[in-house]
Amino acid sequence: MPICLQLIHSHSIQVTHQGSSWNNHSSVRMGRGYIVENMVEKYLSNLQAPDSTGASCVTGLFIGQSTSQRDFVVLAVKTPQRNTDGQRSSSISRRAWTSLDQLDVEWVTEHARQVSRMLPGGLSVLGVFLVTLPELSKEAQNALRELIFAVDKHISKGRLLSLTKEDVTEKVTLHICTKTRKAVCRTFDIQDPKSSAKPADWKYQLGVCTSWPALTCSVGLDLLIPMLEMHVLPQDMEKCIKEGLQVWAKQIEVGLCLINGKTLSDETEIVAGQKNAKAVQQTFQVQILTEHPMSTERSTASVKICSGFLILKGMVHCRAYLQNNKPRFKHAAEVIKRDLINTVSSRVEMFLEDNLMEGVDKGSVEQVLPRRVFVSLPGTTPCLCDYMFPDECLSDVSDRLKEMLDCVIPDESIDISQEAITAGHTGLKLKTTPTVDTLPVKPFDHPNKAPDSLKNDYVGVAVAAAIVLLATGISLLYLSI
Amino acid sequence: MISGNILFRLKGSLEFKCQLDTSNEPHIQKAISQTFEDLCSKVKSESLVFSVCNSPVFIWPNKAGRATPECLSQNSPCKDLQQFIRTDDQEILKSSKKKDKRNSSSVVINLSLMSEVTEPGDLSALTLLTGISKHHFLYTSLPMDCVVSLPTSASLLVVCDALVEALCSQLNEMKKVALQHMKGTAMLIPQPFHFFLPDPVGLVTVIYPAGVPDSQLETQRKELHSQFQLPDNRPYLRRANIFHFPDESYKDGYLRNPHVHLKPPALENSKLYLVQGVYSYHHYMQDRVDDNGWGCAYRSLQTICSWFQQQGYSELPVPTHKEIQQSLVDVGDKQRSFVGSRQWIGSIEVSAVLDQLLGVTSKIMFVSQGSELASKGRELANHFVSEGTPIMIGGGVLAHTILGVAWSETTGEIRYLILDPHYTGAEDLQIITDKGWCGWKGPKFWDQNAYYNLCLPQRPKTI
Repeated sequence: MPICLQLIHSHSIQVTHQGSSWNNHSSVRMGRGYIVENMVEKYLSNLQAPDSTGASCVTGLFIGQSTSQRDFVVLAVKTPQRNTDGQRSSSISRRAWTSLDQLDVEWVTEHARQVSRMLPGGLSVLGVFLVTLPELSKEAQNALRELIFAVDKHISKGRLLSLTKEDVTEKVTLHICTKTRKAVCRTFDIQDPKSSAKPADWKYQLGVCTSWPALTCSVGLDLLIPMLEMHVLPQDMEKCIKEGLQVWAKQIEVGLCLINGKTLSDETEIVAGQKNAKAVQQTFQVQILTEHPMSTERSTASVKICSGFLILKGMVHCRAYLQNNKPRFKHAAEVIKRDLINTVSSRVEMFLEDNLMEGVDKGSVEQVLPRRVFVSLPGTTPCLCDYMFPDECLSDVSDRLKEMLDCVIPDESIDISQEAITAGHTGLKLKTTPTVDTLPVKPFDHPNKAPDSLKNDYVGVAVAAAIVLLATGISLLYLSI
Repeated sequence: MISGNILFRLKGSLEFKCQLDTSNEPHIQKAISQTFEDLCSKVKSESLVFSVCNSPVFIWPNKAGRATPECLSQNSPCKDLQQFIRTDDQEILKSSKKKDKRNSSSVVINLSLMSEVTEPGDLSALTLLTGISKHHFLYTSLPMDCVVSLPTSASLLVVCDALVEALCSQLNEMKKVALQHMKGTAMLIPQPFHFFLPDPVGLVTVIYPAGVPDSQLETQRKELHSQFQLPDNRPYLRRANIFHFPDESYKDGYLRNPHVHLKPPALENSKLYLVQGVYSYHHYMQDRVDDNGWGCAYRSLQTICSWFQQQGYSELPVPTHKEIQQSLVDVGDKQRSFVGSRQWIGSIEVSAVLDQLLGVTSKIMFVSQGSELASKGRELANHFVSEGTPIMIGGGVLAHTILGVAWSETTGEIRYLILDPHYTGAEDLQIITDKGWCGWKGPKFWDQNAYYNLCLPQRPKTI
């Protein structure tokens, strides 16, 4: 497959693939098209191998959104340095120049898994990149193949919802040679272990996601999950919660979505077709309605002997983004519901990983799960998110963001106002305006927001800032109780 | 059915979750009561949503009747909802709209019970509460089904309040029934049934425990009969007699009461005396049985059996030809070779089968000549008034079902409402009524010289 290379100027790379397949009898499909944010190009061009630590290559992830026609890449993030406590001696690093054996697949996949938790609905890890010296270019393809399958496998572990047949299963790999700055772009179908590398189109564009519409909602949970007699805490806690969450996720999956108070047919576009590029970024309030399924087989209530119970209760804030080329109602419904399910299951996972459960003998213990905070990365519209444990403070979050996403976010830009800090009746009851990524849009007058509601009024941005300061104080207070 | 009123039917499922810490009875009663009461408060929460079926309308009844689309407000008259509802154009509906003015006056609007998860009443942080306690966990879904009848001018707010109240009172009723039939930790699921009782009572909803057959619920029915002042010889409140909503279709595919779509004959000074209740139309070639030419009496008998089943007198399904033949063998009326044969039966056999399978006795009427049937007006009229069951008539070489008469006391003129089992086509109401397979016939319909036997099934006097 001939590769046509055009060097625009020394810092940029443009790659196109011209398939000689036009004349072939066997129809080779035209590859996927990736539309990539200009900033990604800049980021990639600054990556060098070997890097400052002597590693033979630089790996990283691509983040964006896949649709059936094409894919959008909005962010590239290199794999952070692993704290190996001085295992890398200089002799090893010298050897590393000559092969990719030292490629820490496990670490790349773990980074991918953690980053995928930081993504709002609609965004996912689309692929991986590898920057190497020219000598390693040949090996690079194999390494990328191994990486992309491993990354996807690791991320899908513990996924509550399985993929639908509409989901795009192609993931992208990009190899960049440090000398020529030549980039080779291929995709693999991660559902097919025998998938061969397919060519793909990689095009840079300015402002790929500046006007992507956002969907938001706040969802209340009140799940009672019984623990059967045979289950023992804390070993079986994960199993129990997972089973309970699966039932809940199923209800959400088949639930109805209302956008701005209306349910639309699947193929309706949610953004009234705007041809001009300078479209205003819109935020849509979503409502999710669920129905409890009727079970008609039994004539008596089911009775189970239980040794305990779990109650997952409280509010979570959901956020999702859609690419702005004719986004359809059914995609909107899908991305926001997925975000809801993912944010709940991510937090529960993180909580269990942290193993805060100390073994309860009797009675009950209530623990606060990590709370979701949002950050706006410079240059991209979609907010990313992170989870803050009750004992953490803003600088912990910004440290994590620096490590995971390779970017510096000032503490003030972290929006912690979307979710409350404390539990129960002592919790602050907030309802805030959407975060900084959105331009001020005229408020939607929903029929379901009663003007004389007993609930909260909109809190201005000024107060939100004050709460940021309060948050630190209160989280310290919580610890001391 | 009050014409000019709309029936609002709200169906849905509420999750019932109850923890029983000990197994002593008063505690169990208390825990279950508490769970029902909690459900009652849940039903009053702002996250409750009514979805109007087949329409884009959603109503939040506990937010002062807010609704979407926006053109509906709490003060909109509820008849405004109708314009949003998509109707199916089934042929049955079309033909019934043309011919039957009676049914179209009762409009039913169906609603579903939903919950808005994005309406969190409590905005506090997500927490995980872990509790260690040995207990029995009771879990089920409660099948809610409430009906209210309101004038078309009633506002949405009134409709919402009425439905929410109906939900609460249904939960209360369910609680009573559940507690009443509790055995240890086994709770029978309370199920709502709607009955249309004679004036002035109208539509009522009764809760029965699932799994308990009608035969064991006699005491309950006695109580209800006295409460509603119902005569104690008709099974008004048996499950089979639930009110059939005009918009519901029957799942078994048989046509019900095709006669209601007919225009009564124009007979001077006459009154109509018709079958009471619901029957299914059974005829040749149904159920993949080719009984063309020999099965007419069997089909008439099936129609009669369907009547007894649907009025709650019998829980047996409508018998097949073989089952009918077998029961005649069982009573000694026929040899064993009869089963599987294509032999005809007459009204005597019909009454024997009704007795054997359903415990129903019948009166036999005999006329030596078909022409005499014209003079049987009074007797037939009396039958339809007191028993109201379909009549099987056999004579000549044919069997038919008489569903009613139009009879003038003064002139003696008579017309017979006939359901013809000789029809071999599909369940097409249009054809059946247009071509007279169910239709009004005059006295000349009968073979004037043949003799006829009529089987008049008698209603059992029971509740």
